[in-house]
Amino acid sequence: MDTTNNTTSNPRGIPSFPFLSNVNEYVKSLSDVEATLTRFQEMVSKYTFMQQNVERRAVGLREKLPEMKRTLEVVRFLRKKRGDTKTAPPSDGLGDEEDEEEDVDEELDSETKGSGEIETTFSLQDTLYAKATIKPAEIDEVYLWLGANVMVAYPLAEADELLQGKLEKAKDSLVAAEEDLEFLRVQITTLEVAIARVHNWDVGEKRKLKSQGLLPAEKDDGEDDGKGKDDKD
Amino acid sequence: MLSRRMLSREEEESVGDEKEVRKVDQERINRFSRIHSRHKAVEQELNAKQKEKEDLEEISTELELADEDDKVPYKIGDTFFTLPVPEVQEHLSSSVEKIDTQVSKLEERLGELSEEMSDLKEALYGRFGRSINLEA
Repeated sequence: MDTTNNTTSNPRGIPSFPFLSNVNEYVKSLSDVEATLTRFQEMVSKYTFMQQNVERRAVGLREKLPEMKRTLEVVRFLRKKRGDTKTAPPSDGLGDEEDEEEDVDEELDSETKGSGEIETTFSLQDTLYAKATIKPAEIDEVYLWLGANVMVAYPLAEADELLQGKLEKAKDSLVAAEEDLEFLRVQITTLEVAIARVHNWDVGEKRKLKSQGLLPAEKDDGEDDGKGKDDKD
Repeated sequence: MLSRRMLSREEEESVGDEKEVRKVDQERINRFSRIHSRHKAVEQELNAKQKEKEDLEEISTELELADEDDKVPYKIGDTFFTLPVPEVQEHLSSSVEKIDTQVSKLEERLGELSEEMSDLKEALYGRFGRSINLEA
């Protein structure tokens, strides 16, 4: 169940950063330290960049999901309404009395069936709504916006399926994006730990060599201290 | 990102030289990081759902005071449908039910994640002591 950090598997082609138990395998001598640390820092920034991209993608998906769900809700509601009214004797939208032959347990819907019309208030703009009267019994098709200035008429059942499919795909993409984010997070953490370890090793090594008097002259010291170099006890 | 808190000389000496990071430790650290992010995400979702639930319950209460024969505009999707009160109440109660199940699932997950996090914290602090910082 746990997605273990396998050094060879990379979901969607993101390279993984290998974990090495011995710091010496990262860095062989003091001269390597600087270069290695720079390389690690670079890798961290690359991973962070990737992380930001994936995060942006995930945020977009998360925003679109509720809208898709809402559209699907409306289609399902219309289907339900139409499905109910289909069982009613053809009514021209007037008079509940005609529906008395109806099943008694459809009581709740017999009123709306009786009138056959629903008044709706739908948004033309964020702050502007318009009233409309719809007859669910007569709604066989809905128009779906597919993007890129394209709108297509679909029969209710197909629209339901289509929207459901799109919703599933979006959910899958979101899951994949979140997996990627976790994976990237792990790589970045491993890198940060590696940086800390190399740094610590560096400090340790320098101290060790200094105490042994083998420390090469430091460039930024400015001191011409030849003592450390030549003593070899 | 990286906490630049350095150890004092004494702290370092007390830590000693054997605190090399083993593969097991790295995996624990990674796992902690992963669980921590998941925990944050679940917490956010839970808060949002609880707010939704509160809103729904408020509406249900208000509707109880409304006349049964009245029609109220009920929002489905982006549109308001003027429906009779009983029907709206039906919609509302099924939504409340759905949200309830979601909320309890999320709370369960949160509990599991918190538990695992404290286990990992214990293990890692035990091994590394002050050399590691696990607070957000």
